[in-house]
Amino acid sequence: MITITDVCKWYGKPEVLKNINVTIERNQTVVICGPSGSGKSTLLRCINGIEKYQKGEIIVNGISLNDPKTDLYKLRRNIGMVFQHFALYPHMTALQNICIAPIKVLNWSKHKAEKEAMVFLEQVGMGSNAQAHPAELSGGQQQRVAIGRALIMKPQIVLFDEPTSALDPEAIKGILDIMISLAKSGMTIVCVTHEMGFAKEVADNIIFIDKGEIIEQGAYEEFFINTKTDRAKDFLKQIL
Amino acid sequence: MFKAVTNNIVFFINGFTLTLELAILGIIGGIILGALLGLGRISKNKFVYYFVSVYINILRSIPLILVIFWFYFFMPIISGRSFTPFFSATISFIIFESAYFAEIFRSGYQSISKDLVSAALSTGMKHTQIARYILIPIAFKRMLPSLVTQAIITFQDTSLAFVIGLREFVRSASIVDNIEVRSIQIYGFVAIVFFIFCFSGSKIATYFETANKKTGLS
Amino acid sequence: MTFAYHYNWSVLWSQPYITWWMHGIRLTLEIGFFAWIIALSGIFIGTLRSSSSGWLHFLPTAYTEIFRNVPFLVQLFMWYFAFPMIFPDTIRIYINHIIGFNYYIAIIALGLYTASRIAEHMRAGLASIETMEYEAALSTGMTRYQMYRHVIIPHALIIIIPTLTTEFLTIFKNSSVAMTIGVAETTFTSYRIASTTFHGLEATTGAMTIYLLLSLTIVKISGIIESKVRIPGMAGR
Repeated sequence: MITITDVCKWYGKPEVLKNINVTIERNQTVVICGPSGSGKSTLLRCINGIEKYQKGEIIVNGISLNDPKTDLYKLRRNIGMVFQHFALYPHMTALQNICIAPIKVLNWSKHKAEKEAMVFLEQVGMGSNAQAHPAELSGGQQQRVAIGRALIMKPQIVLFDEPTSALDPEAIKGILDIMISLAKSGMTIVCVTHEMGFAKEVADNIIFIDKGEIIEQGAYEEFFINTKTDRAKDFLKQIL
Repeated sequence: MFKAVTNNIVFFINGFTLTLELAILGIIGGIILGALLGLGRISKNKFVYYFVSVYINILRSIPLILVIFWFYFFMPIISGRSFTPFFSATISFIIFESAYFAEIFRSGYQSISKDLVSAALSTGMKHTQIARYILIPIAFKRMLPSLVTQAIITFQDTSLAFVIGLREFVRSASIVDNIEVRSIQIYGFVAIVFFIFCFSGSKIATYFETANKKTGLS
Repeated sequence: MTFAYHYNWSVLWSQPYITWWMHGIRLTLEIGFFAWIIALSGIFIGTLRSSSSGWLHFLPTAYTEIFRNVPFLVQLFMWYFAFPMIFPDTIRIYINHIIGFNYYIAIIALGLYTASRIAEHMRAGLASIETMEYEAALSTGMTRYQMYRHVIIPHALIIIIPTLTTEFLTIFKNSSVAMTIGVAETTFTSYRIASTTFHGLEATTGAMTIYLLLSLTIVKISGIIESKVRIPGMAGR
């Protein structure tokens, strides 16, 4: 589904990403972890072409991001994204936040978009807050809306960029539950997170990045129990 | 009590009409030029950035009266022909106020977080759509209170066109006062009219600001 | 109609113009400084408005709104032309003979006008301080007066220092309006030279340069002051 080959990225020195090689299969859930500033989020943003990279190749769904003929806008319809600080449009209600993309990008009627959006809002327990503006919602509620905004496009892949690190403990559980059921429903998920409980429950592959390099990757047992490198061991000691 | 005013009311109305015209042209021209200059202030092109910054900082550090004079004396020299005080004053206001509007636009543009653009991109929206549905509405709503405030200031500033003999509201008042010698009534009337307009304007600005606070936009 | 223009920049430095310029600069500086002293009362007016109710709230509010919403030129005319009219003729004759009446009026009018602007900044500064801080001060046993005096007002002042700097720049710019009542400050000087020599372009350009240098000096000095009073963790400019 996603093939990343020898991807390098730099703004100057040092490199932000160094020779990244990752393969993600359909229906897999992949967790990316590592210290802050290691390049995790940058890698995630490269997958939907929001950030550019200088070398290597990323192929999503058989389409190369390098190919100048690739319509990135069209590609992004199939890749949802959820952000650490929610990034909801502050001037729109929760419902409008979810509806704007299907109406403008997929040319749905307003009626259809709102009907669909309400289904998603009900699903994430936000049905009664449809008319609220982001500022009137708690962090956890905002993130639920943001997930709805990504899912209404019926994406094949959802990218999560530290979706719970700006939330309080109660809200974290709610969001993780939504993500877990999403993973179990067969969605392809790439998630930058330090929530190892989530990784244990659903991750097929865990990737550890430090200083722009993949240091280690493997399934849960392999990564946690038989950790090979010292860098990964140090990191795990800090977060567990 | 306001006989000196009511006896000359047509004269006052004409003056006030000219003030309004000057203010409207200054506000519209200032906003258009200011929006462009504001873009220059966030430009990555070093030349554009420095040029625009110097332009704005010079204008912001000299008095408006001087700008009005300068254009009044300068425009005939570069063009080799004379201009009406109204035309000259309008150009001065647009140039001067644009420097103040530009700073409002700059902070409006800078207030939008990069994540918001990424979020819109990730739902497949095109750059033109993002500008139209996300960036411009947010920036405009955020800037609206400051834009209204600056518009009120521009409206007050038009009184300074007095100095090049333009018969706007205050000049009309001073002409009437020279004949009638009723300074308290005449200037009192002018002050009340300005106050009503500007105070209502400032209430509108406050209304927009409160509305923004409610929706988390400020 | 076309005409050739011959530049004559010597209006900036030859006699008698240089004497006029010097006098003009001195008046600009004096009006600005003295008016500033009056204008600082705005800090008190703004605090009173925010901290009181009833008349003590209404009066500073009315003052701020009236002085902010009438153009400074109109205010200046009110003080210069209308204000003496409230006195009986005998006193008015005496007032009209005060030497430098227009100079004093310019200082008072500019000071009171700027005070209303500073009062508004102070109000906004106080409003931006969180309720928690007021509660914290009261919870340590301070009286309301002590809370304002030792905690809230110092904090608000630090918040509004950048806007105070801008106001300080603005007061010198606004002093140019005093030319309309015949005060021979810098802008008046350029106008006077323009009408006696017909070299208005050079004269106004000269005046612009003077204001520009004045601004640069103030920005420089206030930069030093701001860096001295800056507190770590509070946003600078």
